[in-house]
Amino acid sequence: MMPMMGMQPQIILLKEGTDTSQGTPQLVSNINACMALADTVRTTLGPRGMDKLIHDDKGRVTISNDGATIMKLLDVVHPAAKTLVDVSLSQDAEVGDGTTTVVILSGEFLREAKPFVEEGVHPRSIIKSYRQACNLAVSKVKELSVSLEGKGDDEKRELLLKCAATSLNSKLVSGEREFFAKMCVDAVSCLDASTLDLKMIGMKKVIGGGLRDSFLVDGVAFKKTFSYAGFEQQPKSFNNPKILLLNIELELKSEKENAEIRLDDPAQYQSIVDAEWNIIYDKLAKCADSGAQIVLSRLAIGDLGTQYFADRGIFCAGRVPEDDLQRMAKATGARMQTTVNNLDKAVLGTCERFEERQVGGERYNLFTGCTKARTATIVLRGGSEQFIDEAERSLHDAIMIVRRALKHAHVVAGGGAIDMELSRALRDHARSIPGKAQLFINAYAKALEAIPRQLCDNAGFDATDVLNKLRQKHALADGSGKYYGVDVNSGGVVNTFDAFVWEPALVKLNAIQSATEAACLILSVDETVKNPRSEAPDASPMGGRGGGMRGRGRGRGMMRR
Amino acid sequence: MSLAFDDYGRPFIILREQGSKSRVRGTEAVKANILAAKTVARTLRSSLGPKGMDKMLQSPDGDVTITNDGATILEQMEVQHQIGKLLVELSKSQDHEIGDGTTGVVVLAGSLLEQAESLLDMGIHPLRIAEGYEMACKVATAHLDSIATKWDFSPEEVEPLVQTCMTTLSSKVVGRLKRQMAEICVKAVLAVADLPRRDVNLDLIKVEGKVGGAMEDTRLVEGIVIDKDFSHPQMPKELKDVKIAILTCPFEAPKPKTKHKVDIDTVEKFESLRHAEQQYFIDMVQKCKDAGAGLIICQWGFEDEANHLLMHHNLPAIRWVGGVEIELLAMATGARIVPRFEELSPDKLGFAKCVREVGYGTTKERSIIIEGCPNLSAVTIWVRGGNRMVLDEVRRSLHDALCVARNLVRDNSIVYGGGSAEIACSLAVEAAADKVVGVEQYAMRAFADALEAVPLALAENSGLPSIESLTAVKARQLAESNPHLGIDCNDVGTNDMREQNVFETLIGKRQQMFLATQVCKMILKIDDIIQPSQYD
Repeated sequence: MMPMMGMQPQIILLKEGTDTSQGTPQLVSNINACMALADTVRTTLGPRGMDKLIHDDKGRVTISNDGATIMKLLDVVHPAAKTLVDVSLSQDAEVGDGTTTVVILSGEFLREAKPFVEEGVHPRSIIKSYRQACNLAVSKVKELSVSLEGKGDDEKRELLLKCAATSLNSKLVSGEREFFAKMCVDAVSCLDASTLDLKMIGMKKVIGGGLRDSFLVDGVAFKKTFSYAGFEQQPKSFNNPKILLLNIELELKSEKENAEIRLDDPAQYQSIVDAEWNIIYDKLAKCADSGAQIVLSRLAIGDLGTQYFADRGIFCAGRVPEDDLQRMAKATGARMQTTVNNLDKAVLGTCERFEERQVGGERYNLFTGCTKARTATIVLRGGSEQFIDEAERSLHDAIMIVRRALKHAHVVAGGGAIDMELSRALRDHARSIPGKAQLFINAYAKALEAIPRQLCDNAGFDATDVLNKLRQKHALADGSGKYYGVDVNSGGVVNTFDAFVWEPALVKLNAIQSATEAACLILSVDETVKNPRSEAPDASPMGGRGGGMRGRGRGRGMMRR
Repeated sequence: MSLAFDDYGRPFIILREQGSKSRVRGTEAVKANILAAKTVARTLRSSLGPKGMDKMLQSPDGDVTITNDGATILEQMEVQHQIGKLLVELSKSQDHEIGDGTTGVVVLAGSLLEQAESLLDMGIHPLRIAEGYEMACKVATAHLDSIATKWDFSPEEVEPLVQTCMTTLSSKVVGRLKRQMAEICVKAVLAVADLPRRDVNLDLIKVEGKVGGAMEDTRLVEGIVIDKDFSHPQMPKELKDVKIAILTCPFEAPKPKTKHKVDIDTVEKFESLRHAEQQYFIDMVQKCKDAGAGLIICQWGFEDEANHLLMHHNLPAIRWVGGVEIELLAMATGARIVPRFEELSPDKLGFAKCVREVGYGTTKERSIIIEGCPNLSAVTIWVRGGNRMVLDEVRRSLHDALCVARNLVRDNSIVYGGGSAEIACSLAVEAAADKVVGVEQYAMRAFADALEAVPLALAENSGLPSIESLTAVKARQLAESNPHLGIDCNDVGTNDMREQNVFETLIGKRQQMFLATQVCKMILKIDDIIQPSQYD
């Protein structure tokens, strides 16, 4: 602003170019931004949700339906809207599913709060009531959830299958959801019950084949590694083989990097050559003597080793990926060796069957029937790269759900039923409160209805109509309607609990809590100060170096002295 | 792209560089995607079937490819559009998994999407269409299973395999020699097949070729062909009943891998070093002789001196043979790969009945053919053809046929070709559709219509009146309930594909339907495209 003649000179408080905006307009503007972001992922919710194709500057293409993935790829820079990305990612990390739900809920909470803010209500009053409503909702979810603790194993398995199937419902693989639900449950039940370490489930993707050609290996599977001449002469299948896992190179090479040999007498030449060969032969002989029939190494096994093992009827594979090797160790009970000295029987592992098999266009090494199998591998098949990638993300969600449900065996009815019931309970509660809070809790209750409404919208049904039917059901005095949710097939309402549309209670609990947190966070901000970039990126002629300097300079500035 | 505007009409900056991104959403996006996919599919349509035409593709650096293989065409077209790329991958994955039917799968997917477009105009939710397609796909594949026949074959009785390979080859440039080629492929596959485990490793079949000669000269070598010549021009050009040593060490003085330095300060030392080196060569050749080898095949090079010595000792040798060939040679001849001379022993040698160096016409290029190996576990198909483009196309065609033979070894069920299976499935899906309540019924009917695209294209490419021939066959199939009736592309005079001996593998057909349905669902499910506005 130009200081006018005669006026007091402006006091410069902040660095020139700093963008500040404050007060109610700023708050409203933040809300608008969040709503806009929530609107982008809106259409992916539910079994009739659509996918997004995101093509980034680097030419990578992702087709996804997973809220967290989309949010991550959108590359949001708006400071307030970033909060929504964070909730979605935290939901992904914490529960693994419901990432779209949480974004929609936060957006909706803000949307409901907006008119109040515009009318001049203090944001703190809204926040207070929202927090209160959130607590009520959480306790209501806990009350409504059905525990499956203490049921028989078969029944529990059924429950897990249902939960996994519900999670897969909205994904690209929904056509085969029973098939994949079973696969996920089987995979998770392979794991060690106390830790349920997700790393122990391997996921391999092979392009080609139908979805139904995907299969689960109760052990480890990995792609044929780079092989040297002689590999094809090795046996490719074993029953009950002894397996040796190594972390050393079996190659003819210089033993010490910087060593240099000086020879005075040409006659000694041969002895040096022999010495080198002996080192490697000694190593190979020790591997063979240990009785192992399969030798796997994280590092290279050279052509010499390959041929040596081929001569002795031993299968070997070098450069096996680290995580596969670790899972091999878990599966077969073998211990990874960093030296070939002192190999005894105890470090060898075993499995029921090993074979090299053709999977699509690739050869795969399959180790099945592992005795100590605390690990499983899912080999996914599908028509194209993007398709398999999306299938992998979907299965990851389902596996997370199964894993969560195993630990926390409470479920609620899905299909918007739980949201409608919460909304009703909150409205009832609101009527008992005198004062402004009544309005805000009502608003919160209305926001919860967004989930069933969006389900209808995505499926192309008349949302108002369905919602009214649902409200009527849930308002029945005897409580018989509390499990009613949207029926995406007919456009009516259905008892989703009986229809086995189940979600783990944890998903909902976490979604409600973090969505409320995010909404409150944004409501509590009334000023944004945005520092200008310390230097325009294209101002400096030496782009790369300038950038580095700038970063360092700023870092020093922030250091405390 | 702007997501939202504030009260003053200024856009929010929510995404990084959002000004340079464009966004299409809703039905518009679905329609745009379908259009792109249809365009790609239409390109391939004319390549389908025995009378399908070839495409000529020129790559950026001027290489010309002429082919009628769907996967190759799409790959070389370098499709830019993202949805187009999905179809390219679709065809590629059919290629990886089955190896044949890469054109058919794209034509089917394109036709499914075309049908979906009109359903979208009717206001049906894209996902309901996709679900209807999935239901229809299940019906169709179940019907395929029911009309499939098992072909029993044994290593002696290979006629069924040959017939099926011939169907694949009939649409290719080698159509006129399909019988010969099919027999070659079947023999090759059976040679390397592990029949009890029903496993075939196609890596063990090498398809090699040289420009020149006629396609008729293509033959199966029960052994290996190496594109090399003998290391010394005076070595004998033909060897009979020869023992082979396969070495992976060079004919040079051995070197330690550790950095080393030899200090020479006197003339005597230099002399002795030179002498030692010579001694090495003499020893090496002697070791080979002692082991009884008649031919040395080496992965590395020879020093001139060694080469000379070998020549003198009447030991033919081949140098610089690649790792893959070494491996195949070892398997075929039953030799062990020997990493150093000290380990050479008679039992590590392989055997071949005949090794000869052949030249081609007037050119100086030579190859070495090693055949008559005791262990028929690695074979080579030696392709000849008039020019490089034909040669490449023959190789691709043979690859398809090899894949078909492999699939039959894996699963010996077949269905009849000529569009008969598609027509039969279409009828089955239509019948099943009437029993379905809901909008999926429309989608299933659309699927049935889409299946007819394959016989339609077949008839069209063969110059037949497409609609008339299709409807005639369809009516006859329904009347006679005979699922073997198809389009008579070759004008043989009968529509019965059993008599025409036109077969395809069941897994190939089933895969086509699965993959096409999957990709359709994927494309229909996208309602939002965010991309950089323009390509650089």
